[in-house]
Amino acid sequence: MDKKTVTTICYLARLKIDKEKAQKIENDLEAIIELISKLQNIDTSNVEPLYNPLEKTALKHNDVIDSDNRKEKFLDNAPSSNEDYFLVPRVME
Amino acid sequence: MTWETVIGIETHVQLSTKTKLFSRASTTFGQNPNTNVNLIDCGLPGVLPSVNKEAFYKAIRFGLAIGAKINQTSIFDRKNYFYPDLPKGYQITQMDLPIVLGGSVEIKTKEGTKIINVTRAHLEEDAGKSIHDEFDGYSAIDLNRAGTPLLEIVSEPEISNAKEAVAYMKALHQLVTFLDISDGKMSQGSLRCDANVSIKKKGETKLGTRTEIKNINSFKFIEKAINFEINRQIKELENANSITQETRLYDSMKDETRPMRSKEFANDYRYFPEPDLLPVVISDKELKKIKETFPELPKEKLNRYVDEYKIPDNDAKILSSSKSLADFFEVSLENVEDKGLLAKFLVGDISSLLNKELIEINESNLTPENISKLINLISDGTISGKIAKVILDKTWKKGSKPEEIIEKEGLTQISDDKEIKKIIEQILKENSNQVKAYLAGKEKLFGFFVGQVMKLTQGKANPKTVNSILKEKLKK
Amino acid sequence: MSIQFKSILELKSMLNSKTISSSELIEETFKLTKDLKDLNCFVTMNEDSAKQKAKQIDQGKYKNNSYLTGIPLGQKDLFCTEGLRTTCASKILSNFIPPYSATVVKKLEDSGSITIGKTNMDEFAMGSSNETSFYGNVHNPWKRNYVPGGSSGGSAAAVAAGIVPASTGTDTGGSIRQPAAHCGITGMKPTYGKVSRWGMVAFASSLDQAGPLARSAEDCAIMLNEMSGHDLKDTTSLDVEHTDLLRSINNPIKGIKIGIVKEFNLNDLDSKIQERFQDSKKLFEKLGAKFIKISLQNISASVPTYYSIAPAECSSNLSRFDGVKFGHRSKNSNNLNDLYIQSRSEGFGDEVKRRILIGTYALSAGYYDAYYKKAQQVRRLIKNDFESAFETVDLIMTPTSPNTAFEFDSKGAQNPVELYLEDLFTISSNLAGLPAISIPHGMVDNLPVGLQLIGNFLREDKILNAAHVFQKNSEFHLAKPSLEDF
Repeated sequence: MDKKTVTTICYLARLKIDKEKAQKIENDLEAIIELISKLQNIDTSNVEPLYNPLEKTALKHNDVIDSDNRKEKFLDNAPSSNEDYFLVPRVME
Repeated sequence: MTWETVIGIETHVQLSTKTKLFSRASTTFGQNPNTNVNLIDCGLPGVLPSVNKEAFYKAIRFGLAIGAKINQTSIFDRKNYFYPDLPKGYQITQMDLPIVLGGSVEIKTKEGTKIINVTRAHLEEDAGKSIHDEFDGYSAIDLNRAGTPLLEIVSEPEISNAKEAVAYMKALHQLVTFLDISDGKMSQGSLRCDANVSIKKKGETKLGTRTEIKNINSFKFIEKAINFEINRQIKELENANSITQETRLYDSMKDETRPMRSKEFANDYRYFPEPDLLPVVISDKELKKIKETFPELPKEKLNRYVDEYKIPDNDAKILSSSKSLADFFEVSLENVEDKGLLAKFLVGDISSLLNKELIEINESNLTPENISKLINLISDGTISGKIAKVILDKTWKKGSKPEEIIEKEGLTQISDDKEIKKIIEQILKENSNQVKAYLAGKEKLFGFFVGQVMKLTQGKANPKTVNSILKEKLKK
Repeated sequence: MSIQFKSILELKSMLNSKTISSSELIEETFKLTKDLKDLNCFVTMNEDSAKQKAKQIDQGKYKNNSYLTGIPLGQKDLFCTEGLRTTCASKILSNFIPPYSATVVKKLEDSGSITIGKTNMDEFAMGSSNETSFYGNVHNPWKRNYVPGGSSGGSAAAVAAGIVPASTGTDTGGSIRQPAAHCGITGMKPTYGKVSRWGMVAFASSLDQAGPLARSAEDCAIMLNEMSGHDLKDTTSLDVEHTDLLRSINNPIKGIKIGIVKEFNLNDLDSKIQERFQDSKKLFEKLGAKFIKISLQNISASVPTYYSIAPAECSSNLSRFDGVKFGHRSKNSNNLNDLYIQSRSEGFGDEVKRRILIGTYALSAGYYDAYYKKAQQVRRLIKNDFESAFETVDLIMTPTSPNTAFEFDSKGAQNPVELYLEDLFTISSNLAGLPAISIPHGMVDNLPVGLQLIGNFLREDKILNAAHVFQKNSEFHLAKPSLEDF
């Protein structure tokens, strides 16, 4: 795990690492990757991945409206909002 | 140098379900901001998605109509990226196992018909809306649209020019509206596309570098945007520059495409199967039911209009080519005696209004109630064809009821013999010279007298009555 | 009459006989929380509403007298509680008041139980020592400055200290069972899908499951009876009939077959922990159980499998904490990207960041097949191993944790993997979706030791039956900490 990879994944995850902690985090990540790399020793040819322990299928809901308008509550919880919208610093497209 | 263009189109069709793809909040367009939003659409901590059955049925209908393979087991995946109108920080979409695989769409251009193959069509959720220019220093987020079901239809790169691209989009529009899976309202974003455009030297087999034009939402702009982009790319290559693979926006005001602010890093969406949703299975029974309840397509409608309602072939063809027009016709005719007149009115006066503004009838102010009323008022002689046009103009602009317009403007046809007789007598008296000339054999003047009556009655006099009384009076 | 250390059934009989009123019980409970404030079990208290509800119960408003009517409970701060702050022990949610309640909370409250507060935990349930909470460490009631285990550390400590008879927890890789073991109480992770995840803030969606922590297997059965059930809002919840777990809890266990995992080399463990294990085996044998050696061939891969899957799912699940719609937003940002990066970096602690980064890496282009997909393939192998094992045995018995509780800051500080390896015994049942319980079975150096029983898919009844019979014939679960340091 090199510095460039760490920079890339930090950007993808929108996280910043303090300078003084950078080395420690890099070492930690290195150790975890070493741990999970042990999986490479296991033969999984022709094994279907098990994405969920329930090997079942999803129930589908009917197309019937069931919703109350909680706009005020949602906007109240937002760090920044006006009476109608959530607000963020202006984005240039 | 001769260049060839290669275009592939990704179309996003908003499915006309009542509720969202993963929540039971309403999808109604045009509501106050952030009111069609529930816990799930807001992406609150702890919420979980559940799948809308109807969205699947609609997607399958499309797949069946284009002769595609239906994956009866399909899986949702997460596409991870950050954007303020994407509440969860990921979009739920389908990657490896889309609901619709393959199929094809027939398009018609002046050069004839052509088959465009479809790679796949998958279900995904729409994002919310960001408003960038209304508040000083802020972008405002409206999540009403977040979670609306989209069918993303991906074409093979088999489209060769802008005209074909438009024809392809028109074919899709006709399909999704007739299948009743989308309202097709492009002005509301119900159908929008991204076009991948590249050019190569004629005969070259290797594809050129492509650019993607994002979010085009009208037939007119598709053609303009693609043509601009083709010319731009030709210019670049002829000036020995290279094409950068990038995403571009079409600016309809300036009629140009320009690159979107590029990101510092290439996006890595980190797709993986959505762990909150188990695989979705469509049973044979469900599939059978979808097939049995397949809606009527244009050809079937055309035949029915001719057979059942005795509509002339040409009128029936136009009526049945647009779902919204056909629907409008079918609702209106319930209350109309003279179905031929209704068809003629829709194909004639109303279609020319629609064409002028480039909209569909369901995007206009017209309603079947008002138009059927209008047709009946013509048939029963309350108004003349000329007055009908005046009323159409008003109901077109404001959606007002014909009977109200008539009352307000006093437009009722005068069919009362006595009243018309009185008016005619007055006119003949005021124009004694012309009467003499007419009686002396200048029969062309008959039209002059009719004109005078209409002028005086502001066109409200019943022409038939006017004719017969005039003839009588001028006999002597 | 003291209410401390009383079980649900004991409190229930006090309420029924009017030895105590519901209001008095709640009054006493809050007194305990104040006396034992140093334990730091709770992040947020619910005093006013709790007292109000107790009053209503005394006035006879709750007609359906269930086992839980009037019983005070702690709710792990990972469950959304309408109108009551829910932090997940993170700074990023320090001001979050949910507009809705988790299904688990709603079911428990509908049955008449009283939420007295939100229990402390590892931040977003990521940790096994409760040291990653933004709201400070929870102390082990048995020994100050020792960890209670995690991530449901506050829930475990509150029960172990006798403040509440039971509390809710969540278990993604052992987060109920390991703190139950370290605190000397009983904790159960049900089958994946038995309890709705609606309103439970997701860590790793395909592994998370809610369950009870209580003073006995019987109390766990009472709690689980109320918590479980199909929920249309969680499409991964099981649409099956959930049988009354108390019905068969007293059945004799003569003839049940218990598997001992060949691949777990117990000789590596502390000799006193080995002794406890052998003693319990003997007790079960005395009660009529038969022990059979079984093989879980791929079990050693469960830790790397878990640490590929859980961080990957967590990296995506935690993307919604972006400072836009709720939670902490940094004041040091003037553009959108800064807002994301600053809010998340200020809001999340180090362990959460580590896991998000690992998960982001494991899912990124070029590594997906090698880590995430590979891990899900190995996961199937692990599940297959369990399936064959359960063809011959009813239960599988292992220690819950390789060690007893350790001192603050003593593990994982240098290398997080050291702490991850503590999960060896608990992780595999999450990967396979199987139910498992931890029951106390003695002390080593004045700290409790836990014993784990894993059952087959939806066989909570067998686990609880064996655990209850064990507890009827032993007194480990009745041990109480002196709490003299607090």
